[in-house]
Amino acid sequence: MSAPQRKTDIGPPHFKQFLPPVIQKNYASWKYHEVLRPGTMVHVAESGDKVWSVRMASPRLISTDFVRDVCDVADKYCDGFFRFTSRHNVEFLVSDESKVKPLEDDLKKRGMVMGGIGPRVSNIVHTQGWVHCHSAATDASGLVKVIMDEFIDYFTTKELPNKVRFAVACCTNMCGAVHCSDIALVGVHRKPPIPDHGRIPNMCEIPSTIASCPTGAISPDPAKKSLKINNDKCMYCGNCYSVCPALPISDPVNDGVAIVVGGKVTNLRTAPKFSKLVYPWLPNNPPKWPEVTNAVKGILEAYVKGAQKHERVGEWIDRIGWEKFFKLTKIPFTFQHIDDFTFARETFRTTAAFKW
Amino acid sequence: MEKEEVKQKIYALVEKSVGRKKLKSSDIQKTISAELGISRDEVKNALKDLIDAGTLIYTYFGGSFVEIPPKQ
Amino acid sequence: MPKKYDTPLLDQLEKGSYPSFVTEIKKAAVKHESANDLLGALEQCYKDKKTHWKHGGIVGVRGYGGGVIGRYSDIPDQFPGVAHFHTIRINQPSGFFYNTKALRELMDLWDHYGSGLTNFHGSTGDLVLLGTKTENLEPLFAEVSSRGWDLGGSGSAMRTPSCCVGPGRCEWSNIDTLDITYSITQEFQDEMHRPAFPYKYKFKTSGCAVDCIASIARADCSIIGTWKGDIRIDQDAVKWYAKNGMDINAEIINRCPTKCMSYDGKELQIANEDCSRCMHCIAKMTKALRPGKEKGATILIGSKAPFVVGALLSWVVVPFMKMEPPYTEIKELTRKIWEWWDEFGKNRERTGELIERKGMRNFLEAVGLDPQPAMIREPRRDPFYFWQPDELK
Repeated sequence: MSAPQRKTDIGPPHFKQFLPPVIQKNYASWKYHEVLRPGTMVHVAESGDKVWSVRMASPRLISTDFVRDVCDVADKYCDGFFRFTSRHNVEFLVSDESKVKPLEDDLKKRGMVMGGIGPRVSNIVHTQGWVHCHSAATDASGLVKVIMDEFIDYFTTKELPNKVRFAVACCTNMCGAVHCSDIALVGVHRKPPIPDHGRIPNMCEIPSTIASCPTGAISPDPAKKSLKINNDKCMYCGNCYSVCPALPISDPVNDGVAIVVGGKVTNLRTAPKFSKLVYPWLPNNPPKWPEVTNAVKGILEAYVKGAQKHERVGEWIDRIGWEKFFKLTKIPFTFQHIDDFTFARETFRTTAAFKW
Repeated sequence: MEKEEVKQKIYALVEKSVGRKKLKSSDIQKTISAELGISRDEVKNALKDLIDAGTLIYTYFGGSFVEIPPKQ
Repeated sequence: MPKKYDTPLLDQLEKGSYPSFVTEIKKAAVKHESANDLLGALEQCYKDKKTHWKHGGIVGVRGYGGGVIGRYSDIPDQFPGVAHFHTIRINQPSGFFYNTKALRELMDLWDHYGSGLTNFHGSTGDLVLLGTKTENLEPLFAEVSSRGWDLGGSGSAMRTPSCCVGPGRCEWSNIDTLDITYSITQEFQDEMHRPAFPYKYKFKTSGCAVDCIASIARADCSIIGTWKGDIRIDQDAVKWYAKNGMDINAEIINRCPTKCMSYDGKELQIANEDCSRCMHCIAKMTKALRPGKEKGATILIGSKAPFVVGALLSWVVVPFMKMEPPYTEIKELTRKIWEWWDEFGKNRERTGELIERKGMRNFLEAVGLDPQPAMIREPRRDPFYFWQPDELK
């Protein structure tokens, strides 16, 4: 191939060319939709036209051949159009009802999994992890896989009180909306970075590295033309490592996975909420992370048992109270649960009313 | 002000900062426009030429900066 | 390529019903040395329980300061195929819609120049091409850009804007999320490709308060569609829900956060002046209830992940903005925000953090917005506040 003329600043292709004709025709004129099956819904336009969406699971990290297989299916049933959801699933858009069932059968035959629509578990928003990230404290794709395998029934068939949005972030940088998820797993460090005095003078800008620390734990070490860490102040966030690669922080034994719960981004019923800490640390135990999946199972089971219809995890906990949440789930309550950072005083209980 | 002159000023500023402080595009725009009494857009335009030619490059390490490319 | 490495740990992640990323890497490894070595390198990470990637800070395409993330293995001798393994962010089309012709073409190019591995999509929304060598960056960029694709953002720049499916397939969307996203992306190409900000700046646009793109949690500028006027009720459809087993009092009336609804077993009533437009009733009774007719968006500013001193959710700065092409008002507001941020922001300080540091008044005055109760949850509790000389006698 001889390289063609490059172009800059053209932006993405206009989306209109990728909209199936039924969508172009009924753009902004949709009237209502119905969920027909866990993986299939139909949208009805003012004009009476209908479009069926068949949602298929994707591992997000996919090969070109996976994309080609999806293209084959879309050519056969959807006139060559499809989309991805904001949670990385594939959606086949069908305008001819007679093709919906054959499409679903075809996907089943190909071993694909359909579901995720309605009050269920959907695909897990996640980060790159050990597949591609320099600051990952744990893997992301592997955790996603074991969690989705564990709760596959809640994707394909069974219903929950409401949607449960999982997320996985491989470090506290949290690319993605992990911090406002029903149940999120976060890779955490537990030991301060160890300065590599040989490399710091050449690799790192001292003032910006000092400024990167949220707790003021980093100071200059003029004798070594390097940096010092005040270990008593370090909260192991790893932000300094993003600025200065000569401050390695990863530690195979002490790194692990924290679990935060009860967040939501939607404004439905109650205001958007941050997820809150329930497990400060669980061991990094690839490839199956049994401690993590067990812990998540305990939380989800308590939610299914206790929540009222339409309550998200955070709404359920707000109703029953955190003291009862810890009682029901039998999660040990520790010093780590009590905030001693930015938002601490907003989180203390300033009432004498609470449950035994 | 000739564009070439602006480009030279920009390059000199980046060169002077090596090993001291990494400069952001906006640092360069602020400093040079104040020094030469020209608009920030003029500085930005000259900087774009330098980047397009590979005389200067963007780097990203704890922020995005403009630097002299490393010797191969 | 023949199989190069035994991967007993990763192989366990090929079992189970959910589609496996390991299977995907293996599929790419059949054609690509780099994907083969990725498999080996990843198995090593699983064995060592630590990452084996280093960050890179230089590689990119000529003229751009973003869109490519340099990545290097810290054990290149063991896995030479991933010694360089750079990520390319391709700006996705609004709403993640594709046709097969365009994607097949892109996949062919990626098999030619890269690892054959992708993310549909990255967290910010880009179509991510995962892993190639430095020397492939320019030729690949020439190929994709000549076919109408451009790179996304990275570093201290405007990041690739993204949005929900919006009017493409959702009856709740109050604004044209797809067009707004396209228009903002085109307007600010320079700000996306040539990083000149203190830090990243993200736009996310949702058609309604359900917020399927999570804009309120992860965009410096969250654009959320909303309406003025009465919710439109189809009483026949209300009866249809009742007949089909919905307990309207339990599921709708009692779940309404403002208690502005009532139902007497026949008719549904809404006191619209008390409605906060949370979307619960509309989302659950989509056949019966529809948003009011005067459409627009609430503009919220500031959300971000926890680095450095804690996560923020976006807060309201413009309660209602009309959103019609060419979207001049949001673009002008954005330029004013950037100008203020450029003047006062420190390296790696997000817009929301700067507003916290300098105060909302400073921000609102700088961008020309008047104070309004919709901006706050409650007024200040402390008695310490400023007066300007012109407010005094």
